Amino acid sequence: MRGQMTHLDTDVLAEFRAGLITGRRGARITAHLGGCERCTALDEQLAGLRSLLASVPAPAMPDSVAQRLEVVLAAEVAQRDAVQENRAERADGDGTRESPAPRRPGGNRGFRPLTLRVLAPVAAVVVLAAGGYGLSRVNLGSSTESSTSAGSAAQGAAPTAAARAKSGGSVNAPNAGPTRGALSRPQGITAAGITVVTGHANLSHADLGQQVRAELNMPASARTTRAATSTERGCVLGLIGHHQLELVESVLFEGSPATLVVARSGARDMAWLAAPECSATHRHVLDTTSLSSGISGP
Amino acid sequence: MPDEAAPADHELLRRHVAGDADAFGELFRRHRDRLWAVALRTLCDPDEAADALQDAMVSAFRRAADFRGESAVTTWLHRIVVNASLDRLRRRAARPALSTGDEQAFEALVAQDGDPARTSDTRLDVDAALRLLPPQQRAVLVLVDMLGFSVADTAAILDTSPGTVKSRCARARARLLPHLAHLQGNRSPGQSVSPAQGGDTA
Repeated sequence: MRGQMTHLDTDVLAEFRAGLITGRRGARITAHLGGCERCTALDEQLAGLRSLLASVPAPAMPDSVAQRLEVVLAAEVAQRDAVQENRAERADGDGTRESPAPRRPGGNRGFRPLTLRVLAPVAAVVVLAAGGYGLSRVNLGSSTESSTSAGSAAQGAAPTAAARAKSGGSVNAPNAGPTRGALSRPQGITAAGITVVTGHANLSHADLGQQVRAELNMPASARTTRAATSTERGCVLGLIGHHQLELVESVLFEGSPATLVVARSGARDMAWLAAPECSATHRHVLDTTSLSSGISGP
Repeated sequence: MPDEAAPADHELLRRHVAGDADAFGELFRRHRDRLWAVALRTLCDPDEAADALQDAMVSAFRRAADFRGESAVTTWLHRIVVNASLDRLRRRAARPALSTGDEQAFEALVAQDGDPARTSDTRLDVDAALRLLPPQQRAVLVLVDMLGFSVADTAAILDTSPGTVKSRCARARARLLPHLAHLQGNRSPGQSVSPAQGGDTA
């Protein structure tokens, strides 16, 4: 029973290696391998194939996809909150007085819509998105593009983000360039979410670009930050699409709370002043401007 | 994986079901790179993968209450992603083939990491070879050989038997070998390989 058997083909060897051939047939294969260089080489190649496949690094999720999913997720959260809120209480008319009725199980650190509304007046967010998108892009809610998104709540937010991701170079932000990692990771975005700088600047429409530049240039040591709420995160990600987030800062705009959001694309920075009620599903932008980036361009 | 400070997967899922607005996001972010890899390699197309992952995430978000804990949370998440990916492949098969996608998809796959050329070459070849496989074989191979899932876990993810997983793996490897043997450094490619693919059907 030495070399009697014909050479093994790849399928048989692969099945043997996977433990699918045992018993007498398996014993014959083992015996054949013991005396056949050709089949032994093939067997080694099969083993090598597995190490080769295992050695290919798993691709990290591109930032553009991650941001798009965050928008969709924020929309899901917002929808669920809305449903729960409606269930809990519906009178919320003038919006000025709100009693902190506990409508969630205690101990959750989850964001409550109520808390946010109280906080909001203190924290206006300024959003600056880097060039590329004109003002028309701000009204994302009116986009007619649709996608096969499974989330009805995501309509308005997610499909647009998806469409952007597709039209704007599919996986990479156009300005991501060849380097990745620390350099290109948007400053304000961490794996856990978005950081909001708690600022006290009172911005105004006139010369908004210069005021935004001043906020961008403020040294990090002079700032205090907090994590963005789910609503803020949805708002910011919805505004910036796949562009690189530069700054999210709570400010005053014309004396009222707002959030400054700045994002960058190439040599341009785009800035939005978002109203406190801005969310993934409700884009309320008070003002917007575009400026040449002081960092990467002329 | 999770250190002491980080809540376990099932705990995050429980909090999500209980109404915590941030728990699901934390859970999803924790596993997103692997979930992305599964979708991307099963679909071989970044745009399709992103769509599939979005479908899967929304589905998991809404159906979390259905999770009964008979498997690990990661198994459950992977199953949803794999199913969303295979669904897309089925739908795509029903459509006329797009001719434009492949090269762009390749470039995107390579470009996304800015990898040095060598890694990219290997990855390109592997990605190209994966396309030769029927979807079910591809999904199995990705889970077992590329992402390191055990046969048992893979069977749970795909809701099939370990024997089926093994045989799909074997067929997939046999089919890939002729196309990838040249990447295995010192061995000479053609000489000993007889690409017998006679019985290689899905």
